[in-house]
Amino acid sequence: MSALLKLSPGLRAALITVLTGALCLALEPVAPWLVKWPADWTLPATEWVGAALEWLLGGIKPLARWFSGLLGYPMAWANAALTQTPWPLIIGITTAIGWYLGGLAMAALGFVGLSFVLTSGYWQESMNTLSLVAVSVPLALIIGGAIGILANEAPRIKPAVQGVLDVMQTVPTFAYLTPLLLLFGFGPVVGLIASAIYAAPPMARNVLLGLERVESEIKEAAVMSGGTRAQQLFLVEIPSASLQIMVGVNQCLMAALSMVIIAAVIGGNNDIGWEVLLQMRKANFGPALLAGLVIVVFAIVIDRMSGALATERKRYDPRVAYGILALAILAALLAARFLPGPPSWSLFDGAAQWVDDGLGAFNTEHGAKLTDFKNNTMFFAFLPLRIGLDDAVLPFTWGFQWTNAMSLWFFGVAGALAGVLWATGRPVAGLMLLIAAGVIETGVANLPWPFLFVALGALGWVSAGRNLAVMVVVLLSTILLSGLWEPAMLSLYLSGISVFACAIVGGLLGVLCAISPLAWRFIRPVCDMLQTIPLFVFLIPVLMFFQIGEFSAFLAICLYAIVPMIRYTRHGLANTPGDLVEAAVASGATPMQILRDVRAPYAAPTILLGLNQTILYAFAMLVIAALIGTTGLGQSVFLAIGQADVGLGISAGAAMAILALIADRLVQGLAEERRRALGL
Amino acid sequence: MSERPAIRVEGLWQVFGANATAALAAAKAQGGSRGDIAGRLLDQGLIPAVRDATFDVAPGELFVIMGLSGSGKSTLIRGISRLVEPTAGHVDIEGEDVLAASRKRMTELRRTRMGMVFQHFGLFPHMTVLDNVAFPLKVGGMGRKARHEKVMPIIEMVGLKGREAAFPRELSGGQRQRVGIARSLAGDCSVWFLDEPFSALDPLIRRQLQDEFLEIRQRLNTTIVFITHDITEALKLADRIAIMRDGVIVQIGTPTEIVLNPVDSYVREFSKDVAKGRHARVGSVMRSDAGDVGPDDPGLRSDMTLEAALASCMSLYEPVPVRDGDGKVVGMVHPGDLAKALQVEET
Ligand SMILES: Nc1ncnc2c1ncn2[C@@H]1O[C@H](COP(=O)(O)OP(=O)(O)OP(=O)(O)O)[C@@H](O)[C@H]1O
Ligand SMILES: [Mg+2]
Repeated sequence: MSALLKLSPGLRAALITVLTGALCLALEPVAPWLVKWPADWTLPATEWVGAALEWLLGGIKPLARWFSGLLGYPMAWANAALTQTPWPLIIGITTAIGWYLGGLAMAALGFVGLSFVLTSGYWQESMNTLSLVAVSVPLALIIGGAIGILANEAPRIKPAVQGVLDVMQTVPTFAYLTPLLLLFGFGPVVGLIASAIYAAPPMARNVLLGLERVESEIKEAAVMSGGTRAQQLFLVEIPSASLQIMVGVNQCLMAALSMVIIAAVIGGNNDIGWEVLLQMRKANFGPALLAGLVIVVFAIVIDRMSGALATERKRYDPRVAYGILALAILAALLAARFLPGPPSWSLFDGAAQWVDDGLGAFNTEHGAKLTDFKNNTMFFAFLPLRIGLDDAVLPFTWGFQWTNAMSLWFFGVAGALAGVLWATGRPVAGLMLLIAAGVIETGVANLPWPFLFVALGALGWVSAGRNLAVMVVVLLSTILLSGLWEPAMLSLYLSGISVFACAIVGGLLGVLCAISPLAWRFIRPVCDMLQTIPLFVFLIPVLMFFQIGEFSAFLAICLYAIVPMIRYTRHGLANTPGDLVEAAVASGATPMQILRDVRAPYAAPTILLGLNQTILYAFAMLVIAALIGTTGLGQSVFLAIGQADVGLGISAGAAMAILALIADRLVQGLAEERRRALGL
Repeated sequence: MSERPAIRVEGLWQVFGANATAALAAAKAQGGSRGDIAGRLLDQGLIPAVRDATFDVAPGELFVIMGLSGSGKSTLIRGISRLVEPTAGHVDIEGEDVLAASRKRMTELRRTRMGMVFQHFGLFPHMTVLDNVAFPLKVGGMGRKARHEKVMPIIEMVGLKGREAAFPRELSGGQRQRVGIARSLAGDCSVWFLDEPFSALDPLIRRQLQDEFLEIRQRLNTTIVFITHDITEALKLADRIAIMRDGVIVQIGTPTEIVLNPVDSYVREFSKDVAKGRHARVGSVMRSDAGDVGPDDPGLRSDMTLEAALASCMSLYEPVPVRDGDGKVVGMVHPGDLAKALQVEET
């Protein structure tokens, strides 16, 4: 025991974890509950949550219905305004705003973008989507702004507000939908409200951040000028924070757009998200891709234009903007006389058809290879990770049956390797190897729960001390007790392999970009693009090649979640202080040595933060990926939406949020620990 | 000085930390010097940033507060102007108890009586020069046209005519502080606080602004509290100087007193590198019994600087008479004393 205490904390944690794992495996025959939590030991938490919520929501339902009726008006107005306004005018207004905000380039972006939408034949659907955004965004801005200001004015509630905003960011978008459905009934209003709820936190966050960051001298100058509190706030502090607030507006817009499109799954509004879903279900990938591109175009136009608001760049000559408007009015008049209305335009149908045909041809030719690739990855990599070697290795896939003797051999070899590593002075690496071997043998979905408790708790202890360890264990037990352990483990498995793949591929790409500015020149716009696209759209290309299933979900998650890993890795490596690098060069280190021994350790905290973002992104995408067939919590959330089961929806959503929260705190703790170790 | 002081500060304490008021009262109840009290507070993890400050500022006086970084200068004037709530003590401004004033009254006082200039200017980035300067009038409810008319002369006075439409980011540091000065003057304040207004500027601009500041002061009749950590600036501007160390005012006096009679080594350290001859006057070293003067009369006057006096009696070894402005003999001084007073202490 005293020998155990002398070990370093990391080593101690790893050792305890290994011992727990071994113990669980050994005791499985006598105490199966150690591995699999018995179903009748769980509490009917989802039902309780459901009952409580239904009672609660039932109480405010009349109010909610009234409110949704009220919201129907602005929605109808916005819709009427956008769909009745002649299309040349809308294109003209966008182009004029683009000019004013960002000059020729931005004007061209607006013009070309909307012209594409017009000629794609999805004008009507797009305007329906936009009209939802047009109502939900002001709502989100007002709510978010008010929350931000309130938190700033009442310092006592600030930590609470920040905590709630943190949690809201980790709760998956779909989890909002079930209670909203119950409250507001099926229909576009739900999408609108969900998007307002989803888009308000970034606004609140940025308003609060902006207000906090106003220089104290500026605030004091306002006081000493004799301003009342309201005058100080509205005449000085808010305008001084305007750039940060505009960042909030930008994020709010993007979140609202993304959510409005996702909310299309509940249907009821002939909008562009619905169109994508419809075409995907019919396996018409050409049109689905086209509609997806329309969404991407909107996302890019909105993002770049509102992003320009958040810069201090000077504005462009408004007279040109007026000129553009005048032209647009003229065009509208002419169009009204001579041109057909927008819905009959579909210049790209040919292209869509061509894509479809091409895809069909490609799939008939190479489909077998793709399927092979998919199956091989599934059978030889994913499945063992999911259910363990002992269940995954079957004669008809691997060619033989996994036996207990093989398990013993497997552990024996791993143990020997671990022993070698320990003997050569890397005990933690050795134990990690053992843990990895155990996980592969057992499978993530079948991991004994005490093992996970101890492993994650120990990790928490090492990275941030006892509080985090306790928090991790308490949160995990809520999942265990509520009976959501199994889907949670499936979610953990899927996000785990995605994050792992992202970490490796994204990390390597990040290194490449750090070494070669040329590579970064190419990869950077791709990253920008991937971050602008609403999550939904990622599903289209993967479905085109890999059909519905776990593998497609994995790819979609990776596509979205890889970006932060690339960015942060490159940023960390490329921004090592110059004097450190110079010192290394002066010591005669080669570029490779500098990368490994100087840049990498220095960048470690930044890279860990990137990993953290990647994990959060992966969880965000997990639910959406459930649309194309995954198991786990995402699926539970979907089921809940379909059955309007609030208890399940909220509980599954909360379980996902808990997993994301735990991962977030653990990685942040590790990053913090690294930073302290480096004295940063 | 029988006149009512413009600012009267008595026993002002500013303690930062949780439950500072109660902690201070308890520490005071145990008695002892202010050092003992502060010690007890420090032991509890509180920060006594200003410790029992007491001083008066006469109407129209230019009162300089000087001290090292962190000695509590800013905290002191922020307490007087109630940007922070003092923990204990009294502050009267023109006879009114400021600490007892309601929130509304305080806003009123700031609009009409107080002006403040900040070290880093504190300009509103989204307003033009004109709007920045007119801001105190705007919040006071004055119409747009009226306030613009009112501030134009002030903008002209600080030399910013023609830059009214510029934004702060388009101005140089010196120009920005001119805006800050103009803004603090827009409300016709009668007490004027300046917290290291020139510290962020380079030496040349600093000197120029000091001169302009003195000119402005000539024209206005305000009472001024000026903070600096630069002894040359203090000596150049001050009527009186208060020196602070660790929250305590260790000495208050005219520039001459500070230079010639520092109360302790801390104050001496400040004036060490000062050319004393340029700041001390003959009056401060002369003896007022005009008895045994020698035969020579180099024509010393009591308000001459030591440097000038010594230059005119270089070769003399006997005491010489000192006269006042009207030529009446008011005392005598030994040339040796002049030389001695000029010697910088070797420490
Ligand atoms: N709001 C606050 N909370 C806690 N401590 C404070 C606060 N404001 C000031 N202090 C502390 O009070 C002490 C005096 O600070 P102050 O800003 O008054 O110094 P200063 O003399 O103006 O220094 P400088 O020349 O750097 O401006 C410092 O130790 C500072 O850390
Ligand atoms: Mg200060």
